[in-house]
Amino acid sequence: MLFNSIDFLYFFLVVTTLFFVLPHRTRWMLLLAASCFFYMFFKPEYILILAFTIVVDYYAGILIEQQTTKREKKKYLVISLFTNIGVLAMFKYYNFLNTNITGLFNLFDAENPIPYLSIILPIGLSFHTFQAMSYTIEVYRGNQKAEKHFGIYSLYVMFYPQLVAGPIERPQNILHQFYEKKQFNFDNALLGTNLIIIGLFKKMVIADRLAVYVNEVYKNLDTSNTISAWIAAVFFSLQIYCDFSGYSDIARGTAKFMGYDLMLNFNRPYLSRSVSEFWTRWHISLSSWFKDYLYIPLGGNRVSKPKLYRNLFIVFLVSGLWHGANFTFIIWGGLHAVYVLIGSLLPKIKNEGLPLKLVEQFLVFVFVTIAWVFFRAGSLDEAMQMMKLMFSNDISFNLTQLSAGKGPFNLALSFLAIIFLVLAYFLPIDMKFKNLKANIGFLIIAIFLLFVLSKDAQGEFIYFQF
Amino acid sequence: MHKENSSISNFKRYVVKIVFPVLLLVGIIAAVFTFWFERKIILGNESCGAYKINRIINRTDVTEIPIFGSSRAEASFVPEILGSNYFNYGLEGTQENVMLFFLREECSKRYKQSPMIIVNIDLDGINTKSGDLANYLYNADHEGVKQLMADRYEAHYSIPFIKYIGQFENYFRYYLNNRMQLTKYSDKGAFIDKVVLPKKIMDELIEYRRKNQDVFLHEPELKKEFFKVINAFRERQFVFVIPPYHSCYFTNYKNPEDAKTFVNELKTLPNVKVFDFSSVIYPDSLFINTTHLNYNGAVRFTKEFKDSLNTLKKQ
Repeated sequence: MLFNSIDFLYFFLVVTTLFFVLPHRTRWMLLLAASCFFYMFFKPEYILILAFTIVVDYYAGILIEQQTTKREKKKYLVISLFTNIGVLAMFKYYNFLNTNITGLFNLFDAENPIPYLSIILPIGLSFHTFQAMSYTIEVYRGNQKAEKHFGIYSLYVMFYPQLVAGPIERPQNILHQFYEKKQFNFDNALLGTNLIIIGLFKKMVIADRLAVYVNEVYKNLDTSNTISAWIAAVFFSLQIYCDFSGYSDIARGTAKFMGYDLMLNFNRPYLSRSVSEFWTRWHISLSSWFKDYLYIPLGGNRVSKPKLYRNLFIVFLVSGLWHGANFTFIIWGGLHAVYVLIGSLLPKIKNEGLPLKLVEQFLVFVFVTIAWVFFRAGSLDEAMQMMKLMFSNDISFNLTQLSAGKGPFNLALSFLAIIFLVLAYFLPIDMKFKNLKANIGFLIIAIFLLFVLSKDAQGEFIYFQF
Repeated sequence: MHKENSSISNFKRYVVKIVFPVLLLVGIIAAVFTFWFERKIILGNESCGAYKINRIINRTDVTEIPIFGSSRAEASFVPEILGSNYFNYGLEGTQENVMLFFLREECSKRYKQSPMIIVNIDLDGINTKSGDLANYLYNADHEGVKQLMADRYEAHYSIPFIKYIGQFENYFRYYLNNRMQLTKYSDKGAFIDKVVLPKKIMDELIEYRRKNQDVFLHEPELKKEFFKVINAFRERQFVFVIPPYHSCYFTNYKNPEDAKTFVNELKTLPNVKVFDFSSVIYPDSLFINTTHLNYNGAVRFTKEFKDSLNTLKKQ
């Protein structure tokens, strides 16, 4: 079920109403049932995979806690991690790996005997797998008590607002909230409404609009020129931000409406002054996951320079691979590692003036935009073709090419969408308005524009594929 | 108890202070906007599909000579060249089921003073394709229009403003194109690209067309209906026209004999005249793609068609 669908509106109204009508002790059942329904709306049978990992991790958590020795605890942690990574590997990386093995066999004119699996990636697999892993790791580390209530633990993995595209929560932040008795609260409802509306606005008015141009250019690279390639690259940077942060806003808003706090996933990333800062503002729940469970265990910053650089590369390459089983994602991750590495080698400039700040923000945006080309492209060839186009000198001014064959009106609407995005940066960062009138004004304008400017087709969220 | 009361009072406060004023004000703004939008953007724009549907349903001008068809009709006939009483009802993305709706609406009026109806034919056959939903929303409650929407019709298409959600862009695009005439020429329903395609893009399109097969297909029931309408209104003169295609269209055309048979069947009807320009070769610069002319192409074609029409009138 897509957040930007009428189905979800009905679902949200029914579930939220029932949530406040039902007694506290039965609410977990409602939320769990609603989450199952939400997940099964995409492809029902994949709930079995989720159920399997939930059972394994639930018992692994209890067994880890019961063990007295570190060695024994580790044994159950490894079982949990192996199960989760195994499922991920099977569904996400098996065919990718097999394709590369086939390539190797082909080098020697031999046939690969390993069969391909005809499977579709379960929606949101990387998200809920990582959330499940963070639970067993935290129990192992002693930061979280093992959850004894199977239903509540299942809800931790399956809580519908963040089930398919995050934020990837930590047990310390969310598990205890399921035990708290929630009342309908005016402030929560208002903040939830604000977050849902701004999220829908980002997705349906901005991201889906920019997608029209981007998709057209990537579909017709042969007939695009340097100008349209750069416009598409910049549009994609903004599209993916609005698409994903829009999703996170809706997730946080729906949870907040019921009184649950999910973590902030985006903190105006394109205002970053360095790529390393970008990663503290972009997909925060994933980057902090990698920091806590991969980067720091590898030694973090407290190691020799060569090891530090190695750690950086490992984290970013794994992060790339997390996004998708394709070399384009690995290169995307690798590019960010190079950016961060170069950034760490550059001397720190003490000048804090606005011009320097703007130059830094501009450069970060350009470098991140170039890396997004690999993220967006369907294959390495496509990415290279796009890069070639961007750095060639084909700057003929032609309206058909400039508008990517979608007409000047679509291009104008795309720029209007960007103006809205810039204006959105002037809204309160936490979406808490100082006075009610301003808040109501925001809601009226945003809802009206949402109705008038949204596109007909329901665009799927980009991060659903991960 | 206190907490439950607090929950209810919070809910009441949310409804009274947020939901009610927001819905009320959005409702008022939407109502005013819809009033302006329908009059100015839809009904004030002759090249808009919704305007054309509304015009054919409600038209009272008995001297008008209508031109029906798909986007090829819309982009091929320049009414002002043909005369002051011609109107181009061509609709992008539609096929013969929509043309049939127009024919029925037109013929049911039984105008005695304007017997001629110009109908564009495409060489991909007699098929069902209703095109953009935006064409139908303004008249969504009309029975014939509902049938065209078929399973795309939804109950909320009866609600003002709400029915246009997701479609506003289409109307504004046509309106601005009509007003600004930046890349499109529009007049009396014609909506034609003024752009001359760069050679690189045109070559790509030609290459694509050559690699892909085109075929003449027809839905028997639709074809039967089509002939039934023509036969039922013998007092009307039907002029069927096949505007030019780029020559590459025929490189991989599977069944030209079927298309020819269909044209010959039309010719046997006493109130039908057929003008076939499909074999006329126009240069690349007169096309916007391999099946549609650009403005220069449309001007040339309309002039040639006008000459043929004059010959017919003399007869």
